[in-house]
Amino acid sequence: MAKTVTPDAISVILANPCPDSSSDLPEIVVQVVDLKPTGKKYMFMASDGKMKVRALLQSTLASEVTSGNIQNLGLIRVLDYTLNDIPTKNEKFLIVSKCDAVSSALEAEYKADVKVEDSGNSLKQNQEMDVDVKTESPGIVLKPKQEVVTKSAAQIVHDQHGNAAPAARMAMTLRVHPLVSLNPYQGIWTIKVRVTGKGNMRTYRNARGEGCVFNVELTDEDGTQIQATMFNDAAKKFFDKFQMGKVYYISKGTLKVANKQFKTVQNDYEMTLNENSEVEEASNEATLIPETKFSFTPIDELGPFVNGRELVDVIGVVQSVSPTMSIRRKSNNETIPKRDIVIADETKKTVVVSLWNDLATSVGQELLDMADKSPVVAIKSLKVGEFQGVSLSALSKSIILVDPDTPEAKKLRSWYDSEGKDTSLAAIGNDLSLSNRNGARSMYTDRVTLSHITSNLSLGEDKPVYFSIKAYISTIKPDQTMWYRACKTCSKKVTEAVGSGYWCEGCQKNEDDCSLRYIMAVKVSDASGEAFVSVFNEQAEKMIGCTADELNEIKLNDGEASYQKKLKDATWVPHLFRVSVAQNEYNNEKRQRITVRAVAPIDYAAESKYLIEEMTKIKVSN
Amino acid sequence: MDTSNPAAFVNAELLRMYVGRRVRAVIQVLRNDGGSIFGKSTDEQELVVKGHPPNPPTTFVEVIGIADSNRSIQAEIWTNFGDNFDVSSYNTICQLANGDFKHLFI
Repeated sequence: MAKTVTPDAISVILANPCPDSSSDLPEIVVQVVDLKPTGKKYMFMASDGKMKVRALLQSTLASEVTSGNIQNLGLIRVLDYTLNDIPTKNEKFLIVSKCDAVSSALEAEYKADVKVEDSGNSLKQNQEMDVDVKTESPGIVLKPKQEVVTKSAAQIVHDQHGNAAPAARMAMTLRVHPLVSLNPYQGIWTIKVRVTGKGNMRTYRNARGEGCVFNVELTDEDGTQIQATMFNDAAKKFFDKFQMGKVYYISKGTLKVANKQFKTVQNDYEMTLNENSEVEEASNEATLIPETKFSFTPIDELGPFVNGRELVDVIGVVQSVSPTMSIRRKSNNETIPKRDIVIADETKKTVVVSLWNDLATSVGQELLDMADKSPVVAIKSLKVGEFQGVSLSALSKSIILVDPDTPEAKKLRSWYDSEGKDTSLAAIGNDLSLSNRNGARSMYTDRVTLSHITSNLSLGEDKPVYFSIKAYISTIKPDQTMWYRACKTCSKKVTEAVGSGYWCEGCQKNEDDCSLRYIMAVKVSDASGEAFVSVFNEQAEKMIGCTADELNEIKLNDGEASYQKKLKDATWVPHLFRVSVAQNEYNNEKRQRITVRAVAPIDYAAESKYLIEEMTKIKVSN
Repeated sequence: MDTSNPAAFVNAELLRMYVGRRVRAVIQVLRNDGGSIFGKSTDEQELVVKGHPPNPPTTFVEVIGIADSNRSIQAEIWTNFGDNFDVSSYNTICQLANGDFKHLFI
């Protein structure tokens, strides 16, 4: 019969709120703390040294207290209980209906020792005081830290003031850090966050074997978000612990620079939690409602996000609201409500936003009712699709604010009232669907930097995406295969025929002669970075200044030096390129492939105008 | 490169702020007298540029020199800028270089 508190007893109770009285209950021994009478019954805090829960002894047990069997700071074995929710607060309430007194009052409130638990909260201090590992007595120094985990920020401050030097060292861990302050070089922190997104558990297989992984999106009070990932054991440990919408204290995670390919959240860093990380539910913190932080993208800058993974926030004036439509989901034939709204912003462009389910019926209806007042809406976390050029779609985690009291909304309102409502507004989709069809519409639509393309490897996953870039040719390797033998009629690749001549598979006949057509890899650079692009015949001819046949002549007749000079002359020349970006699989690896679709010389007047426009967008802070 | 005496980008309107100081401007040549040129600034005002203009000058000429009044420049360096020139972009640059981005130039 144990005469010690069962480790994680409270967690066991929390996990099983209504035990079957006949089923085998695990050993649950807790310490009775803060025992006080309320009327005829006794209330206390049931503690397992790590967590506490408010508790009540059923009236039948009151005699045990009066007789002195159950004492404050004593231990009881809980034999039967019910765990209820307190309706007004986010707290649990334990009603003990049957128990045994195990021990009389201990000297002090029991705090879970390092040796007893595997992931005790007290580790930080103990690791530094390795000398004392053997001692059973929970060091006094641990006490304030323990209390903090389950107390409010006000209590933390109170405890800090009430303690001397030891607390100072622990103060760093006690204080809740804002998410925005986390970095990979400072490992001692505790954050208080709400789970605003929870992914599914996925299994994977790589060279090291199999594994499972899931991630959560965490948001703190300031609205900063970060993604936290857990693998294998940690994943199994925390998957059930993390629940959507609940608030947790987390510490001992590690940070690294976010992999842009997979991120959906605006943060330079992402977090990994392992089995040593600590996650404690903040049971009495219903007050952490993260302030929604927006990072608006103007409608005319949505182009580069089409079909990408990154989510956008937008703000605009509502132009129209559609009635509710019923859409049948292909995957399970379920019908879900949908509503489309059209918004406009100061870029004089409009875009369609699709709202689904609750957003369609609740906010959507609200917007329909006030549509004639042209309300301003701010929407967070939208997916960018390519329907009709550009389309925005809400997700379950999207947040919509109607007529928010923010400076951007005020600016938009005054723009709309003074000029917006009278100017002709064009759908942004028109600019983009045109360019996608022709591929070479304008060298100024979807103008991006090279780093925008190379930093996002998920671009063009399903369908190729198009961009315009201005870049310099930085290298053309002379010793690459830069042309192929092509049929003079259909330009397809020909193979050497048995005998003489060439066989064209496309034309199904033998030709005596073939032409050479360029297919080369060229390295280009701009101010943001560099990338390799593939260039086909027409564009390469413009860039090199001669046909592939002519270049071959130079190589054979004039020598290697002249050939290399011809390539060198093409280097460091700036061009405007229209490129397509697609994702290919190569040896089981996903590779980004950038292909030049059109090339044009720089029109300096137009380029200057474009640059001036970009410059005026930069806010100069004094 | 001698950066001791930078020339400010000016049009007619900005010229008055730099009287007595070194300026640079692009002028559209209207009349050529041999010893001076009557030209149109990028903000459509008439300016006089004295000195030794190139022979022959192209439609647009850049001059660098000292502003000796709010309507004339004593030019030391003349450069032919050709016959095609985007006047409005240059004018915007003059405004930006003396406004928000002045710290990058002077």
